[in-house]
Amino acid sequence: MSEKQMEKLVDDFLKRVKKRLPGWLTDKKREVKDIMNELESHIWEKAEDLSETRDPTMQSMKLAIAQMGTPSSIAREYKKRGTPKIYITEELWPYYIKVLKVAAILIVIGFVVGFIVNIILGDIEEALGIFNVFNVLFFVFAIITVIFVALSMEGYLPEDFISEKDRKKREKEKKKAEEKGFISPKTGKIVKPFIQPTEKIVGGIIGLIAGAFFVSFTVSEIAAPFNSQFLMIIRVFGIFILIDGGLTLIRGIVGKKQVLMHQVFIVVTAVLKIASIWFLLMIYSNPEIVSILYFEGNAWKVMEIPLEYFEAFKNAVLIIIIIQGISALVDLYKAGQLEKYKLLIE
Amino acid sequence: MIKRIKQLSPNALIAKEKFKDFVEKFESEINRGISTLCVLTIIKESGEDGIYAYKILKTLREKTEDILIIEEATIYPLLRKIEKEGIIDSRKLKKGRRKKYYSITKEGEQVLSHITGYYSKLTKAISPLFDVKVNLQQNKYYFCPMCANKIDLSESTAKYCEICGYNIERDLKERRLE
Repeated sequence: MSEKQMEKLVDDFLKRVKKRLPGWLTDKKREVKDIMNELESHIWEKAEDLSETRDPTMQSMKLAIAQMGTPSSIAREYKKRGTPKIYITEELWPYYIKVLKVAAILIVIGFVVGFIVNIILGDIEEALGIFNVFNVLFFVFAIITVIFVALSMEGYLPEDFISEKDRKKREKEKKKAEEKGFISPKTGKIVKPFIQPTEKIVGGIIGLIAGAFFVSFTVSEIAAPFNSQFLMIIRVFGIFILIDGGLTLIRGIVGKKQVLMHQVFIVVTAVLKIASIWFLLMIYSNPEIVSILYFEGNAWKVMEIPLEYFEAFKNAVLIIIIIQGISALVDLYKAGQLEKYKLLIE
Repeated sequence: MIKRIKQLSPNALIAKEKFKDFVEKFESEINRGISTLCVLTIIKESGEDGIYAYKILKTLREKTEDILIIEEATIYPLLRKIEKEGIIDSRKLKKGRRKKYYSITKEGEQVLSHITGYYSKLTKAISPLFDVKVNLQQNKYYFCPMCANKIDLSESTAKYCEICGYNIERDLKERRLE
């Protein structure tokens, strides 16, 4: 038997192994090449050892390949990664929980928005569809769980989802954070910055524009037919949005310094949100003061909320009040959480 | 081990699937950690030049008299894993068969001396349960009382255990005087 035939035998075997390697490994071409080279050299040396003449023969080659195990069993060894934990590995577990949480939040938000829209439109039957949220949650959770179990069985680790470029970037960030002391003593991980300056600057500018629009609207001609009490409420909201926009802009400009200032500004924002609840309650108790602007013909027209929509409108306002209340509490919590950054920055 | 038992009488306990599975799993659990420990020791003994995977398997078979056998395919993922952890290093041969030579890193050596020490002390501690004797060769080695790190008395002049930082100077002096 010629050496070429033996080479073909080895190549065929290696091809079958390569085909069965897990997805996380096949993406790493250099590593796969290394593995194939090592296996190839292993088979040849083993065939030499098994041959009586010390020169590999077709028989010793076949025996060497057989002793390597099946291509599937070799590939399976590369899937044994991660620490087992209830079908999903310990390494993937935090990501599994995170994905479940994000999915749950998105689904609940989707259903709540649908609920509000249906309440405003007065379609109570459709609005009751909110109770389907549990079926959808169950279905989505089941799909996510199956995906994560499959990933665990294939031996995927969180690092396999990060490109080489991102991995290097993260290492650089970690090094920088270590130098500055931005590493959590509890988890050993990088403490995320408490503010994204660009995001705040853009948000602040949008807030200022929106606030200015509401305030100027109340003194415009279009608003003349509006109920005066309702106009006053719009003006107050406009001023609140202006202040909030200004504070957000300043926070963005100041950036990751002056933690105390950020805390004070966040508390002021929370106070504004709580104050706005007072005005929302005024609208809730007197829906007849609300004026709706609409475009008809070639002109803007104003109308009041029809009596039959009062209940639906009041429900929608109530939901906004609840959201404002929760948002204010979240702000206060965030202000408290910033305490830990004080130590790190100082 | 199971491979040998398979050749015995069909009436043996191990011929029953239930017990065979149990024993196989049990042995595999015991072997997992020990295999890594032995592979690391063989790599360390190969020195700076290093050793390639096939040679590691052959050495392991020879040294353990065919008792501890690592499946051919298992060695590569194992080496890959410990290399990623920074315990070993590798270099590729550019000529001939593209073999990869593995050698132990400085940190790997420290980790190995600690694990070896721990394993040796553990074996000694449990030996009365199995009515066997284990000789720790305490005339040659010192085991850190804090972390069981195995320290070669002929080589070490360290004041502190390099694994846990325990002050070993006085103990070492006394041992040398003995």
